[in-house]
Amino acid sequence: MCALSMNSIFLLTVELLNFHSLQSDLVNHCCSFPLRQHVRSLVVLCLCCRLRMSAEENPAAEPAPVIDVQGDGRWMSQHNRFVQECKDAEPDVLFVGDSMVQLMQQYEVWRELFSPLHALNFGVGGDTTCNVLWRLQNGELDNIRPRVRKRFFFICSNSFNSICYEVKCVFNAGIAFLFVFPQVVVLWVGTNNHEHTADQVAGGILAIVQLLLSRLPKCKIIVLGLLPRGEFPNPLREKNAAVNNLLRTSLPQLGPVQLIDVGGGFVHSDGTISSRDMFDFLHLTASAYRTISTSLHELLLQLLEETPQERRASLV
Amino acid sequence: MKTWLCCCGAHWTSSGVMSEDANPAATPSPCQDIQGDGRWMSLHNRFVSDSKGKEPDVLFVGDSLVQLLHEFEVWRKLFSPLHALNFGVGGDATQHVLWRLVNGELDHISPKVVVLWVGTNNHGHTPEQICGGIMAIINVIHQKLPHAHTLVLGLLPRGKSPNPLRERNASVNALVQAEVASLSHVSFLDMDPGFILSDGSIAHQDMYDYLHLTPQAYQKVCQPLHERIKSLLDKHAP
Repeated sequence: MCALSMNSIFLLTVELLNFHSLQSDLVNHCCSFPLRQHVRSLVVLCLCCRLRMSAEENPAAEPAPVIDVQGDGRWMSQHNRFVQECKDAEPDVLFVGDSMVQLMQQYEVWRELFSPLHALNFGVGGDTTCNVLWRLQNGELDNIRPRVRKRFFFICSNSFNSICYEVKCVFNAGIAFLFVFPQVVVLWVGTNNHEHTADQVAGGILAIVQLLLSRLPKCKIIVLGLLPRGEFPNPLREKNAAVNNLLRTSLPQLGPVQLIDVGGGFVHSDGTISSRDMFDFLHLTASAYRTISTSLHELLLQLLEETPQERRASLV
Repeated sequence: MKTWLCCCGAHWTSSGVMSEDANPAATPSPCQDIQGDGRWMSLHNRFVSDSKGKEPDVLFVGDSLVQLLHEFEVWRKLFSPLHALNFGVGGDATQHVLWRLVNGELDHISPKVVVLWVGTNNHGHTPEQICGGIMAIINVIHQKLPHAHTLVLGLLPRGKSPNPLRERNASVNALVQAEVASLSHVSFLDMDPGFILSDGSIAHQDMYDYLHLTPQAYQKVCQPLHERIKSLLDKHAP
């Protein structure tokens, strides 16, 4: 695939698939897993071309660490801690993003709703899509130790190869150990991309999603929509809404990815946002986090309880 | 216009406004709206209008360490009962707090105690300049609220490992502590309960990003703060 030029990949994909009507379940049902993964990559490439989002053109899709201008190295300290954290934890859910993710862990709602789901929080205040991309490419996904989900008695050698692509499977003394990586990643980033257009920010988020799909097999992704911000209507609200609109249709086409918009209800009829919901008209209060967490928690429970049919069938 | 030179390098005029060439940390400056949603000014305007409707006994003013305090349970338990208002803004340096106080946030209230916690965001300023900024704020508070006592909180260490900002903050604390020793309407409180561990590190259980406090760390620092404020209020009572 790498030998093909970008242009021929694009044309091939357009020919194979009707781009506008591509449904993720069509991809899932008609392709075996390894081909499915390649098709997904092709689709992402198409979307990037459509949004003019190739990594070379889109600064929001360019991985970049935060430069330590203040002088206490806090950003790198947090990154290093996350790299270390995932060596010991066996997360089922991984939260990744900016301060919207980070601050959530400081409120009671995290302990009540998300810790029990074996969730890790890799949020860093101030992060853009570039920073999140860099962190994920530079260790924060490397050491995630998958949780051992099931042990099966090995029956038929033919089924063994087909499940190896889906999950890492170790065969030992007649027992197959099924290792499952984090089942769900919750991604919330983009509101700090002040140098970038809505198109670019959406492309940056797509790039992160592509990375996650390629690195975490069988992972489902929830992308949280960017929230409105500022006390009164302002250009950043329009920009964030535009990012959400761009992602709404394009994300599900990449695979098990969906956009969840939790911003509804924050803007009142007079156009204002209350400081009871966002104490600085950007960051959420405890009560606002509780409001958005309820639906997110329900969705996570639903996704975590799903066991793909093909995984069960291939093991019999 | 006659100016007085304070030992921290801040120039004072008779109206309490700093001369601009002396100390950027002591020159009232609003935060520029670079991002485009006007949040800083929204917060300032809300504080000004808040101050018209309420009668706080205690006013907290400063940066995100003040602002975030309001969002955790410790505020409701320890400080709401003292009739406290919170005028903290994340990211504020001394010159921003100074501008806010000069431009309306103190105009309609008469708290007995003003708790001031600012200085860690003064990047690019020397300890002397930051001290000058803090002293400038203390002076404005005293001018507008002559009967209030100002409690200045010491800057906390920051960063996971030893770094220049820890030294800077410690220097600021030493300078401010010396400055206020001779002033009867000001006192200083060291807020560090021992965040730096024996290996020189700060735990993320105390500062989740090695700057901002977790709820458990706020519990640690707020007990002595609460005690100090209560004793100041008791002294203030007729």
